[in-house]
Amino acid sequence: MISLIFFLCIGALLFFCLFFLARRNPQAEGSSTALVEARQALNTLQIGLLPVELVQRVFAKEDWDYVRSETPKSIHELFMDERKGIAVLWLRQVAEQIGNLRRFHRGAARHYAKLNPRVELQLAVSFAALTGACRALQVLVYLGGPYVAPHLVGAVANAAARACRMSEESIAFLNAARMGVLAVQRSHLAAR
Amino acid sequence: MDVEQAARDLRNRTLSDIPRSLDRLIYLASMRDYNTGLYYHDGLASRFTQEIACEALANCHREAFAQLLGCSLRDLVGQIEGYIESTHTSPRDFVAAWKKLEPYRVAVPVETDPVTAQLLFSSFKIALAILEARLPSVPTRPNA
Repeated sequence: MISLIFFLCIGALLFFCLFFLARRNPQAEGSSTALVEARQALNTLQIGLLPVELVQRVFAKEDWDYVRSETPKSIHELFMDERKGIAVLWLRQVAEQIGNLRRFHRGAARHYAKLNPRVELQLAVSFAALTGACRALQVLVYLGGPYVAPHLVGAVANAAARACRMSEESIAFLNAARMGVLAVQRSHLAAR
Repeated sequence: MDVEQAARDLRNRTLSDIPRSLDRLIYLASMRDYNTGLYYHDGLASRFTQEIACEALANCHREAFAQLLGCSLRDLVGQIEGYIESTHTSPRDFVAAWKKLEPYRVAVPVETDPVTAQLLFSSFKIALAILEARLPSVPTRPNA
């Protein structure tokens, strides 16, 4: 009788284990979502935010020189407010996308054995430094305007581009086709 | 390959006659149906297909947008001045209308990064303020 109860308990335990594992399916979907989001963050950074032309345009000193020398004072204030707003927006977006990548590498990337721990550690350090630099720059730009630290802006843009390349290489085994499948799966799940 | 050929055709036959990137941007944005986001150009569609023409127009639109975004503020002010001249509108009316309606907001290509679009909108805002400041002041009539 005791052994029957014992085996029944073992059976119940196994059943609960199976039930628990079955309930982890949404978690698996979550990791595919994270992959798609990481890819999107990379695209946003590499195509949208970090191209040299855009960074140069946002922080173009020649525009300020033009405004200062050829327009009335009322325009100076408008120009500074506008460019400061754009610079802060750019920094906020870069920090946000870096945060998305960091979350992916910290969480979902753990599931992939192909990832190199040394590279992941380097990426973690880069992401932390970049986030800190973006926050510091946001304060500096907010207080002193968009031309307060041009070298730091350049350094942040270069470091972010480097981190993107590292991140891209580390998840390169998830090729575009796989991403396409994941995106479709995600949209189907979202539509349910 | 066909899309590139169609884009080249568009550049050679039509866009080469439009020297300013602002004018090209406005022209190409006007080829887009606001309800569907698809571009239409009968001549191009007859030489290629509607799909290829649409894609070629979208590519050229993105190109014009990138070119305008790369312009300095001085250049943008000059381009708007040139555009005002070409429309034969009074600069005062033009600046007032553009400040109020902000038509440049509907001229950006689909999927433009929000920061990039915001930068162009902001540059337009500053450029229009510069042009407004340059307008000759209206003489005030003394009250009778």
